[in-house]
Amino acid sequence: MNRETEEKLTPVSRRDFFKKTASVSAVAAASVMAPGTLLADDENIIHHVKWGTTLGDECNSNPYGVPSLYEHNVVRRTSALMSSAGDMHAAISMTPLHELNGIIVPNGLHFTRTHNGVAHVDPNKWRLMIHGLVEKPIVLTLDELKRYPSESRILFLECPSNSAAEWKGPQFGTLQFVKGMMSCSEWTGVRLKTILDELGLKPEAKWMLAEGSDGSEMSRTLPVEKVLDDVMIVYAQNGEALRDEQGYPVRLMAPGWEANLCVKWLKRLEFGDKPWYAKEETSKYTALTASGKAIQHFYALETNSIITSPCPEIPWTDLKKGDLVEIQGLAWSGHGTIRGVDISFDGGKNWVEAQLKGLVLPKAWTRFSYMYKYEGKPLLLQSRSYDDSDNVQPTVNQEKAVVGVEGVYHRNAIQTWAVNAKGEVSNVQIRS
Amino acid sequence: MFKLDRKLVTIGMTLALSSTLAVAAASSAELGVYKSKPGAIDGGVTYPREKGNYTAYKYNEQSTKGVSFGRPATANEIKAWDIDALPDGTGLPEGEGSVELGDELYEAQCAICHGEFGGGGKGYPQLAGGNQDKDENGIVKTLKNQRQYGKTDAPKRTVGTYWPVATTLFTYIRDAMPYAHPKSLSNDEVYAITAYILAQNGLEIDGEEMDDDEFVLNKEKLMKVVLPNRNGFYPNIDGPNAQEDIRAFFADRAKSIGAGIRCMKDCKDPGGQDGKTEAAVVKIKYEMKDVVPPYAYAKDLPPETEGGSISKAEKMYDASCKLCHANDTMGAPAVGDANSWESVMNKGMDEVLVNAIKGTGGMPPKGGNMDLSDADVKEIVEFMINSSKKKH
Repeated sequence: MNRETEEKLTPVSRRDFFKKTASVSAVAAASVMAPGTLLADDENIIHHVKWGTTLGDECNSNPYGVPSLYEHNVVRRTSALMSSAGDMHAAISMTPLHELNGIIVPNGLHFTRTHNGVAHVDPNKWRLMIHGLVEKPIVLTLDELKRYPSESRILFLECPSNSAAEWKGPQFGTLQFVKGMMSCSEWTGVRLKTILDELGLKPEAKWMLAEGSDGSEMSRTLPVEKVLDDVMIVYAQNGEALRDEQGYPVRLMAPGWEANLCVKWLKRLEFGDKPWYAKEETSKYTALTASGKAIQHFYALETNSIITSPCPEIPWTDLKKGDLVEIQGLAWSGHGTIRGVDISFDGGKNWVEAQLKGLVLPKAWTRFSYMYKYEGKPLLLQSRSYDDSDNVQPTVNQEKAVVGVEGVYHRNAIQTWAVNAKGEVSNVQIRS
Repeated sequence: MFKLDRKLVTIGMTLALSSTLAVAAASSAELGVYKSKPGAIDGGVTYPREKGNYTAYKYNEQSTKGVSFGRPATANEIKAWDIDALPDGTGLPEGEGSVELGDELYEAQCAICHGEFGGGGKGYPQLAGGNQDKDENGIVKTLKNQRQYGKTDAPKRTVGTYWPVATTLFTYIRDAMPYAHPKSLSNDEVYAITAYILAQNGLEIDGEEMDDDEFVLNKEKLMKVVLPNRNGFYPNIDGPNAQEDIRAFFADRAKSIGAGIRCMKDCKDPGGQDGKTEAAVVKIKYEMKDVVPPYAYAKDLPPETEGGSISKAEKMYDASCKLCHANDTMGAPAVGDANSWESVMNKGMDEVLVNAIKGTGGMPPKGGNMDLSDADVKEIVEFMINSSKKKH
């Protein structure tokens, strides 16, 4: 095309030109190719796209960035079932696991559990008191806390109620609601031992009370042994300040343990020689077993896993027989590090080894992967994780045999996705 | 003698050391990617911090001794915040309240969520009720109920059937209730409501019935309350052996909390009460679909919201005019610059509109966007003028 012709072509006529060329070439192609293999031209390639012919937004039009508008359906969701009578101040929201990649959850999608609403703490008025069986009881401001040497760790947080609706049978039809009460982030803060070394913990101190400053005054008792091993006081999540929903400005972080123990809007740490029996470690967050007795101080979330692709939200309905496709998912253990994950296609009768991929870190989400040749046959797809504390994820029956179906908390039984001949995926359980 | 002792000590130490090493070596070689030690209190492993390495993490191994920020807590500050109470009553405040006052307060402030007489039914926790009868082993019988699709009553977890200690009721009401106005009750009022709830559960203190309006609860009496399910929890967390009892409980996972087996071929998974019932595929019976926001997966634009923060005119301005009119560097009157727009408006609105539609000086017709209708241009011009008025 010479310069003169090009100048005469307005954008509209340029489009017409390409349209005509496209139809001519399609006709030409049809004469040499079998009709069955004739591919229609993609309009998005043949024509200019809108964002290529218009000026975009100013560089910093969103000083705090937001996701693409097209991702507006990728959000946390909740349900009246997970609240008290539909009251959303004491409720929980679920992370959209089906839309996540890697092991880090964006801060806006981190699941949220509140017992008295999301508190908005003024960081200038926030104080942390550490006292009780220590030589030097202290008060810290946020700036003073941040003066201590920091550490960062990638850790999952899981509500011990994750999957609680499923004890008696499958209830929810989506991955988001089957397993969405968990997330994984890089948390930054101070290792509690670093502070305690200077405060002089007395030898008779066996327990620590952690107390929140919100309306629910969330309180939990932790053994000092754990506190001195790896407990942190964190103020940052994936590089930025904690979100209000995650306890801004400071929460406790007990790696691998119930998210409820990782007290948000933290206010006070007291050391003592006896446990406190707070409400959220007696009336709730205790797992009633079939024996009529309940497990208390149920700390670590046990080894667990879930296949995230395929899942009900992302089925295999677009696959053709013979397609080689990746099965992938997440495994995690509050007891240690994931060693491996097995996959079953027949509801747990036979298993093959999946491979771990990406970072394999203690008490963090770990991705697993298996390449599968899709055959269009019905499947009962399962994953089963095991960790370096020598724990293997139980079947529904194995877990039920020990704790029954009324425990509410700490459900880590193997999840089954039924894949039908069309590639649709649904939540089922293999149980007696 | 001394020599022998020292020898024994040395041998003992060597043995202890080698067994620790053996355990560590076994666990790192066989069980995982990181060197670890079994036997943590939660049933898991712990990882050593050695030579700047902590599993996959590096850490700064320089000494942190002497790092100290913050200031000493004053006695008054500790007094203000350290108001928790232990099961033995340590920390409970002075004060008292009657069942009668508790009844009045409960009806006014608590019943709306927790139901009449603590009986629940409003979706919030039920506080009273449930059968407290125990079996021959001292277990509250109804707590053994196992529901299967509504065939059995749920185990009721009320203060009388489930809670282990009564001091928790006092501290929780004082710190976190009433739900919408936490910390608004006086200690006397909290004693009164606590008394009322304990009374609704049919409890006694030292053989004295509480179900009497005249009954007055105070610190000394609350300390003596023994709730029916006091021994309904394990592992043991009290006394000097607590930590080891907890460790032993979680170490025996298969028995305590359930664990799997890594079978790879022809695996059997029978269950049921006899452990012999074949497992079957169970589908969702009643799917919970009522979620907020509703399920949606499309990658599309969100529906336009009425009365959004940005008007249609502003959006059109942003897309077609802002580049030149945001400031005066292009010679165009800048939006927000009242003086420039005053001189523009001296020409009169009609001429300004014609110029905007047909172009003037360096400005192309309709700012170069011929997709805009004349009405659109009018809307944009009005938006620009309104945004550039002098502020008084």
